[in-house]
Amino acid sequence: MNLLTVSEPKLIEPNGSPIIELSNVSVRYRVPQERIPSLKEYAIRWLKGQINYQEFWALHDIDLEIQGGEVFGIIGPNGAGKSTLLKVVSRVLRPTTGNLRVRGRISPLLELGAGFDPELTGRENVYLNGAILGYSKAEIDECFDQIVEFAGLPEFIDAPVRTYSSGMYARLGFSVATMKRPEILIVDEILGVGDAEFQTKSYERIQRFQGEGTTILLVSHSLDRVKELCARAIWLDHGKIIARGPADQVVDQYLGQVTGVERKRLREASQQPLSPASQWGDQKITLSNICLYDGNGQEQTIFQTGDTLILQMDYLAHQEISSPVFGVAIHRQDGAHVTGPNTALAHFEIPSVAGKGRITFKIPFLPVLEGLYQFSVAATNHEDTEMFDYHDRVYPFRVINRGGKIQEPYGMVTVAGEWSHQKLD
Amino acid sequence: MTYEYNSASLKPPFIREFLELWQYRDLLRLLVSNSIKTRYKRSTLGILWTLLNPLLNTLVLSIAFQAIMRFDVENYTIYLLVGLLVWTFFSQTTSHSMNTLIWGSNLLKRIYVPRTIFAVSVVGNGLINYLLSLIPLAIIMLFMRQPFTPALLFLPLAILLLAMFTLGIALFMSTLAVFFVDIVDIYGVLLSALFYLTPIIYPVSVIPDRFLPLINLNPMTTMVSLFRSLIYYGELPALSVTLTAAALAVVSLTVGWWVFTKRVDEFAYRI
Repeated sequence: MNLLTVSEPKLIEPNGSPIIELSNVSVRYRVPQERIPSLKEYAIRWLKGQINYQEFWALHDIDLEIQGGEVFGIIGPNGAGKSTLLKVVSRVLRPTTGNLRVRGRISPLLELGAGFDPELTGRENVYLNGAILGYSKAEIDECFDQIVEFAGLPEFIDAPVRTYSSGMYARLGFSVATMKRPEILIVDEILGVGDAEFQTKSYERIQRFQGEGTTILLVSHSLDRVKELCARAIWLDHGKIIARGPADQVVDQYLGQVTGVERKRLREASQQPLSPASQWGDQKITLSNICLYDGNGQEQTIFQTGDTLILQMDYLAHQEISSPVFGVAIHRQDGAHVTGPNTALAHFEIPSVAGKGRITFKIPFLPVLEGLYQFSVAATNHEDTEMFDYHDRVYPFRVINRGGKIQEPYGMVTVAGEWSHQKLD
Repeated sequence: MTYEYNSASLKPPFIREFLELWQYRDLLRLLVSNSIKTRYKRSTLGILWTLLNPLLNTLVLSIAFQAIMRFDVENYTIYLLVGLLVWTFFSQTTSHSMNTLIWGSNLLKRIYVPRTIFAVSVVGNGLINYLLSLIPLAIIMLFMRQPFTPALLFLPLAILLLAMFTLGIALFMSTLAVFFVDIVDIYGVLLSALFYLTPIIYPVSVIPDRFLPLINLNPMTTMVSLFRSLIYYGELPALSVTLTAAALAVVSLTVGWWVFTKRVDEFAYRI
């Protein structure tokens, strides 16, 4: 569900001083090689000079300027340093070296309801959580009714928070964190707060803040979201900024690298020697060199829905076999059997084979939607009573539709249907 | 209020932490009142329990020690209770603040709040409990016909010195506790040793001369005798006692605050 549709992302020209400014920020974690939890242990090792730390730079020389009113995206794989960066900006972590400069109040929508005391009532927790976020009692007094109203909890506000459902908990947390428009809002992932109605409300509120000039720092694994919402973005990996600039370009660069890595991984996976669990048959015909190609004849493991996919397999018939049948199957990663065509079903006669040969199977319009799929290949006799060779789900390919022509998100396949409309009156 | 943060031009942590704490004073107030609320909400006797608890404790101890040890102390119950309340404030506050910071670290890893706020709120909480327990003390004093003298007017000053001293130790121990888990246990042992080195249940007169220096070096001896002069003896403490107590309070708070704020930025890196 795509609820957050902010007006066209606009690039903001740097006008004087940025609202968030990081210069040469590095964060080093010093992890003792073994955990030394006790003073006694520590004293002994210190005397022996045996304390070794493993240094780990979670962020490395980060230079970053974010302008007021920007929606700024941070992308990167897990462990890239995204959360550390947010912690530095929200002052939870002091950078080991380098400077951070922030102008304005920050409201982190990271840990909704962090610091709620389950024994206290909703009312008491509103004040506690508000104070933790740095609001004064007077400010909370002023916003109190609006907070409760927005969270939709007027009947429950005097009940202990431990009696709340997790949805109520998050709703109250969100309402407190956004009771006033902060200059900077930190959003980690897209909030899944409460039911659809509350989500709409909360997105509208964020949108309104943005319209009124709040800077939004968005960390998300949903790259489409980042592309859609953010004007600029950075791509972090191993604590360094790999790319920065307009969000769509950064996302594309990142995707390019991710698919490059995956392409390599998928190809390697399909070249693994077969295990007895994934191959069987009496080997009167042996299948080998199974390869996937795209419409341009390039070897490929990543496709888009609607692409041409060509599967090629070589066979070696160790004796003369008449009317053999060659087939393939496609399974989705979760085990769903998508299709299983073979030459006999297609009335494609192969009279008799001996020695080497090549079978090509062309899918002119790949109908499956996004996901990871696996090809199986098989050679059987004509009556399907004898299995010569079977490779069970060993040739993977991925379908990714980002930016592609078919964007259907629902179900397993597209039927490439056509719609029409006429008025009847 | 403008929110401007620049890590390049920060005040020294010693001062900065103090200013931050002032900015978050509403949170401090809430932490104190909430911990009192949650405590009393849970027990059926409620606030009465704080009053009853030291009374019953004192009853047990005074029967035990008066009957067994036969200390020659007039109004022993009052003598005991005055020292016991000071001790309870000190020991509970320091050990509780270590645990609170470890608990609070969960919050500290997620969101910024001034980190001294936990120790300071525990001291505030301890102060309120101490003040409440003065009520049963007053009742016993009335009952035993102990005179109320003008010296009691200096009680707020004594309480301030005790609170400063306790906060300093609490901050120092909390810092250690963040880095070493076993400090909490070690401190428990230390506390019980310190308890017997402080003239709380016994009068100084029963101590053999060779142990006297040990007793007198103990800062808690000074703190207890400060309170005992005002309440039990009904007179102003000797100048030396007052000055020692004031020096202890200032040194403890300065050192504790300094150590804590110097290390404070490492807390979030530690679990």
